[in-house]
Amino acid sequence: MGIMLILLGLLAVVVLWAISLYNRLVRLRNGREQAFADVDVQLRQRHDLIPQLVEAVRGYMVHERGTLTEITEARANAMKATSINEKIAAETRLSTALDGLRVQVEAYPDLKASQNFLDLQNEISDVENKIAAARRFFNSATKELNVATELFPSNLIATLFNFKREPMFELGENRATIEEPPQIKFQ
Amino acid sequence: MKYFGLQSQIRKNNLNSVLLLIMFPVVFLGLSWLFFFIFSMSTQENVMNLNDVNRSFISTIPWITAGVGIWFLIAYFSHAAIINTATSSRPLERKDDKRVYNLVENLCISCGMQMPRINIIDDDSLNAFASGIDPKTYTVSLSKGIIEKLSDDELEAVIAHELTHIRNRDVRLLIISIVFVGIFAFITEMLFRSLRFGRLGRGKKEGAGILIALLLALLGYLLASLFRFALSRKREFLADAGSAELTRRPLSLASALRKVSADPTIEAVKRKDVAQMFIENPREEEGKSSFSFANLFSTHPPVEKRIQLLEQY
Repeated sequence: MGIMLILLGLLAVVVLWAISLYNRLVRLRNGREQAFADVDVQLRQRHDLIPQLVEAVRGYMVHERGTLTEITEARANAMKATSINEKIAAETRLSTALDGLRVQVEAYPDLKASQNFLDLQNEISDVENKIAAARRFFNSATKELNVATELFPSNLIATLFNFKREPMFELGENRATIEEPPQIKFQ
Repeated sequence: MKYFGLQSQIRKNNLNSVLLLIMFPVVFLGLSWLFFFIFSMSTQENVMNLNDVNRSFISTIPWITAGVGIWFLIAYFSHAAIINTATSSRPLERKDDKRVYNLVENLCISCGMQMPRINIIDDDSLNAFASGIDPKTYTVSLSKGIIEKLSDDELEAVIAHELTHIRNRDVRLLIISIVFVGIFAFITEMLFRSLRFGRLGRGKKEGAGILIALLLALLGYLLASLFRFALSRKREFLADAGSAELTRRPLSLASALRKVSADPTIEAVKRKDVAQMFIENPREEEGKSSFSFANLFSTHPPVEKRIQLLEQY
């Protein structure tokens, strides 16, 4: 009888412990989704600005139609994406396309002097700063979730209830090289 | 130098805030019981009638509770306005200063906190502080001088420092403790005043009144020093660490601190009215009621020490 009670007590402790681990995982997953909502707000702002940007650029850039269609397509694609992971992939493509445009604009001094374009560019870089900030928060939330799904003992609960390692929101590799000013070498 | 984590600091501050809030009515009721006890001791020469003491104590419980509640309500609703008037600051909108607004907003986004209000202090000194008790009233106040004289990176570091105070719940604990200490100052003053006008009567009664007033004053000072101990310098280091973590640029905060401490036009915010409203002795308590960069020299640890810590990252 006494042993039964002790075993029952132990079982209760283990169950309570498992529940708290499970709740922590759920909290972390919700936290990640919440964090992505913040990113999403900023991403939508960028979506709203892109048609104006394309419109402002179209008149000047006659030779780079490909870049503009790529941007428009990437944007449409990004707006269609539903799950977080799809959105991350689509937005990364859009960012890369915008970076491409940024490089090509260098060849059009008239465009770079246009006030309308400058205003738009300022607004977009404003939004992109905010995306970067929101991304940082999202990534730290994702990291917390990932650590919890892999560390013992919460990984036991994680595999049991199908909590997976989730991807971070990284920008493309070429981002860093684009932000550096171009190196001009005289030889 | 050991930092302790943000999470444990938040927990500690929350606990302290709750403890303060619980302690407040308890201390108050205890004091009023003491008041009746001493009072009856001094009026009735030989017989100590505890029943009488208890009866009059119980009859005043609702009054005391209501009084305390009203005090807190007033403080809760008006502390922001009082601080604003005292520091002559006004709210800042996005269109007024996009640079400052964006800095604050981006920092808030990157740590996922709700954006506090931003206030501008019309003053050329280099100054910044955080205040407020809940997400609706959290405010970061920046002086005109600090906005103009610091670079973007430095200003961002300063803002991140203040935001960390908010995230730590340092500001809430601070405001609650000011309100707490303030009521003692208020009552002590009332007592002394009524003594001066002789409303408490003559002879023994007066003696009891003075004794109690002194007791209250003593307790107030005791609490004030206790709070000062609680609001220790450690949290400045923690806020510095939080700022470094948010901006990833500890050196910016170091150079901002250098500028702030080197600026000869530094002057404390004239918070005399706030101080008088809330605190016992404005001069002595100056700087305790705000995490002000200008008050570095009173409640903040030595700047050199902070800079040195920031630069060893």
